[in-house]
Amino acid sequence: MCGSIIGPRSEDVRACRTGITVKGFPLEHILRIRNLSKTYHRGAIPIHVLRGIDLSVRTGEFVSIVGRSGSGKSTLLNLLGGLDTPDEGTIIIDGEELAAAGPRALALHRRRTVGMVFQSFNLIRSRTAIENVTLALAFGEYPRAKRRDRASSLLDSVGLLHRVDHRPGELSGGEAQRVAIARALANDPFVLLADEPTGNLDSATSSEIIDLLEKLNREDGLTVLMVTHDHGGARMVSNRVLTLLDGQVVDEEVVTR
Amino acid sequence: MRFGDVGRLALENLWRTRLRTVLTTLGVVIGIGALVSMVSFGSGIQHNIASEFRELELFTLIQVLPGDVDLSDPLAAGMRAMEEGVETLDDETLAALRAVPGVALAYPEVSFPARLEFDGESAQTTVRALPAAIGEFKPFSELPYGAFFGSDGDAAIVVSQSLLEDLGIRLTDVPATAGRAHGDTTVTYAMLHSDEVLGRTLTLHTAVVDARSLMRQVASFEIPSGDLPVREEITELTIVGILERAGGFTSIGLGGQAIVPPETAEEIPRLAVSSVWDLIGGGGGDAGYSSISVRVRSMRDLDTVKGEIEGMGLSTVTIADHLEDIRSAFVVMDALLGAVGTIALLVAGLGIANTMVTSILERTREIGVMKAIGGGEWDIRRIFFVEAAAIGLMGGVLGLVLGWLVTRLANAIANAYIRPYGVPATDLFHMPLWLILGAVGFSVVISLLAGIYPAARAARVDPVTALRHD
Repeated sequence: MCGSIIGPRSEDVRACRTGITVKGFPLEHILRIRNLSKTYHRGAIPIHVLRGIDLSVRTGEFVSIVGRSGSGKSTLLNLLGGLDTPDEGTIIIDGEELAAAGPRALALHRRRTVGMVFQSFNLIRSRTAIENVTLALAFGEYPRAKRRDRASSLLDSVGLLHRVDHRPGELSGGEAQRVAIARALANDPFVLLADEPTGNLDSATSSEIIDLLEKLNREDGLTVLMVTHDHGGARMVSNRVLTLLDGQVVDEEVVTR
Repeated sequence: MRFGDVGRLALENLWRTRLRTVLTTLGVVIGIGALVSMVSFGSGIQHNIASEFRELELFTLIQVLPGDVDLSDPLAAGMRAMEEGVETLDDETLAALRAVPGVALAYPEVSFPARLEFDGESAQTTVRALPAAIGEFKPFSELPYGAFFGSDGDAAIVVSQSLLEDLGIRLTDVPATAGRAHGDTTVTYAMLHSDEVLGRTLTLHTAVVDARSLMRQVASFEIPSGDLPVREEITELTIVGILERAGGFTSIGLGGQAIVPPETAEEIPRLAVSSVWDLIGGGGGDAGYSSISVRVRSMRDLDTVKGEIEGMGLSTVTIADHLEDIRSAFVVMDALLGAVGTIALLVAGLGIANTMVTSILERTREIGVMKAIGGGEWDIRRIFFVEAAAIGLMGGVLGLVLGWLVTRLANAIANAYIRPYGVPATDLFHMPLWLILGAVGFSVVISLLAGIYPAARAARVDPVTALRHD
């Protein structure tokens, strides 16, 4: 289970995700959320997007989050990704408290701990597929001489070796999302956060992307949190499916794969 | 993110929007070009004056004036001197000055008006008496034609090229035997080789009071009509040397178009009034001199000798004193010239800020993506700063090139204009190293200042909002 495309990290302990504790924290739970709340203000009107979410995710788990638009799924993922900060509650990922972290610590978190995949791919249009991946490696201060090799092998592992020098505009939706996944894996994260990764894709391509995520989870032990509309598709690959409604977890279904 | 990656990203971004980058940089180029050419003009003038002074060894010259002279109001000082009597300049003073250690030469200032005649042409000028010993000093030691007279009693004269022109003569390198063209269309000059001038006799006409005629007029209560009681005396002198054209800065402290030895000057009959000091002091000889020039052996002696002379109750003026005044005037001029360039550069700075803010609006989503994949605020800020600095550096270097080209062009045009007047070619501009480094540095600093706000704004972009941005 160690290595493969995610690559061995310096700390083998973490890479192998055995149940050994690091800093006194049981590695079994890579992610713990307690009483997480987030409120946005539209003018004077407060919108309670998340209202006291509790969630624990085990290392190597595939968790899907479903729910209607506006149920708070994406906000939850943004908080886990360190793109936003909660008003209340705690987020502990890989033993680190995220809720109270400053901008520098959040940047490090986004760089090292999580990898994010979005519905609209969010590739940089002026850069080729491989350059999008090497940019992430540059932020991760990966040795410059080895960046292209690593980016190539990442793109190879998502089946895009033949498209490395194409710009996003020249790629199909499925191909673009594969580049985005390769980029999310560039700095060898513990958790992959996928925010409706198939939302912009046709059903056939959606299945391919879901299969790719499932393969990464199954073969490489990558922990995956996926927000999706597709409840049926989610049940096929996930260990658990959570349903969010009005900022609260209203249903949790454990799937036996 | 490592700095090399920051730099590469910044340059990639600039390249991506190259038209805008070029236009923005052009603003800086023009600003720096203006600044550099303006300041190098101011610097060039100072440089030329200082080097000319040095060239003429004027830094070794001390002008000695009677004691307690208020130079700002010579007339009042003169009146006071008449009433109270001050330390005057006489032969005794001259001897005392010659005895001061470090003094190479001390000679009284004697000059008088005269009409010079040569080859049937004549010109009015001021004749100065200078000792033969000054021939060791520049510019007299390096006369372009002939040589300075060797003894104080020679019946010799050194004339300037401008005086020769007043006498209708222009020097040419073409020997006498060859055919010559006339140089000027408005004034016809005789084109002569220096050998045709040197060694020839020039007549000097001076006016003296005709005592008999004056007496006659006074005795008969005759109102002087037409005939003034003045008679002309003629002295013949040999032209031994020709000075460079007097003019520009060379005339400061030197003056004079014609120079004769002092003992010869003594024998030339003339009216002895040439300045207010002559009226007060009686004009030369035993009665006193208007001023005495002192040459020190080296510039280092200047201050000690000056102090010693002032200790004798005399006043002194040195070129260094003048230079201080000139220098402070130049500080003002430089500031004005620099200000024009700086304004141009500040406008260019606003251009940079504008370009970068526009660029942030365009790249909001991209900044969000960079943050999502691990870019920190620090990284984003640095990328924008480097973009601004790169524009500043490119603009600074190219602006320097532009400024240099402008000064070369302006110099060529200016020289083309003044050459017909016989002024030797001079470089009007001076670009010292501090200006080169300072201009580029200033450009980068202004660009960085212009980049502060855009960089901070880019760093603060909220990734959640940015990723929803289209």
